[in-house]
Amino acid sequence: MIKEMKLLFAVVAVGALTLSGCASTIQYGDAGSAKPISKDFGSSDLQQIAEAMVDSMITFPPMVELTSTQRPVVSVDKVKNKTMQHIDTESITDSVRSRLLRSGKFRFVDRTTDAQTVEELKSQQESGLVDKKNAVQFGQQLGAEFLLTANFSEIRQQAGNTTDVYYKFTMSLKNLKTGILEWSDEKEIRKVFTRGTFGG
Amino acid sequence: MKKNNGIVISGIAAISAVVILGLAGCSTTAGIEATGKAAWDEQGARILEKNVVFNSIGLKWDLQILDLRSVLVGNIMKVQATLRSKDKDTLSFQYRFEWYDAGGLEINSGAGSWKPVMLNGSETKNIQAVAPDQRAKEFKLEIREPDK
Repeated sequence: MIKEMKLLFAVVAVGALTLSGCASTIQYGDAGSAKPISKDFGSSDLQQIAEAMVDSMITFPPMVELTSTQRPVVSVDKVKNKTMQHIDTESITDSVRSRLLRSGKFRFVDRTTDAQTVEELKSQQESGLVDKKNAVQFGQQLGAEFLLTANFSEIRQQAGNTTDVYYKFTMSLKNLKTGILEWSDEKEIRKVFTRGTFGG
Repeated sequence: MKKNNGIVISGIAAISAVVILGLAGCSTTAGIEATGKAAWDEQGARILEKNVVFNSIGLKWDLQILDLRSVLVGNIMKVQATLRSKDKDTLSFQYRFEWYDAGGLEINSGAGSWKPVMLNGSETKNIQAVAPDQRAKEFKLEIREPDK
């Protein structure tokens, strides 16, 4: 009887130790993880979209030809978010812009920091602190030749316990001089959520 | 004594089951690593030196890498891997590409993100990727089972 008790105790102890290995903890995760947590837009979706757009744009034959001799100047427009979610779409275009810049094929103008630029130039011109010879003059910046625009939409369907969410991100590169769309591509993501019998 | 033996055996079985379950719940799979390196043959034609390593027996059962190819688009390396499912059911995997320069140093180290890929029963599918910039001369494709 004592032997049995000892054995039972041992099983319980090993079980408790093993389970405690999986108890709640906090730790660093992989920033590139593709584990879907919910049907909502997530970090992996953002990375997939950004990579797909950049890969498509820099390998599109007319773009390869264009960027073989020059690094075109591009401006990034705000994404039209037509999904039912609050998404920081600037974060998507920031990722796209960084990747394009690092590819060494494109250059960008950043309209979001214009106010700070004007303030800095004003201070250089008017404060009297900066040597006139190397103070940056107004009206010397390069204008963008291309505009990068994007649309983000979502179709959500629900039947019983299953919710199906379809995301579509469309991006286009518009030639500002001619108005022609030089490149466009889309990335689709589908997420299917099935509610379990127990729990939320 | 016979009765005690039975208890001991079932006890050991119970302990092993708990340990295996516990480990399985926390473990991650190592998966498949396929590397390709751009090189030139005697005629000066561009070739790809390939190497595929299976770290997971489960994935070796499920998946086959039929082909690895690479081309230069402009001056940027583009690669394609052809995967074939050996299973009858639909399988999900994750993959990512890492890129290395001529010196073997990783470009944008740690920036690669995992991407999901789904293969229907016995399906052959291509996955493609484009290098981050013109420095890339070598790539490593990693495939693993999805996070649990």
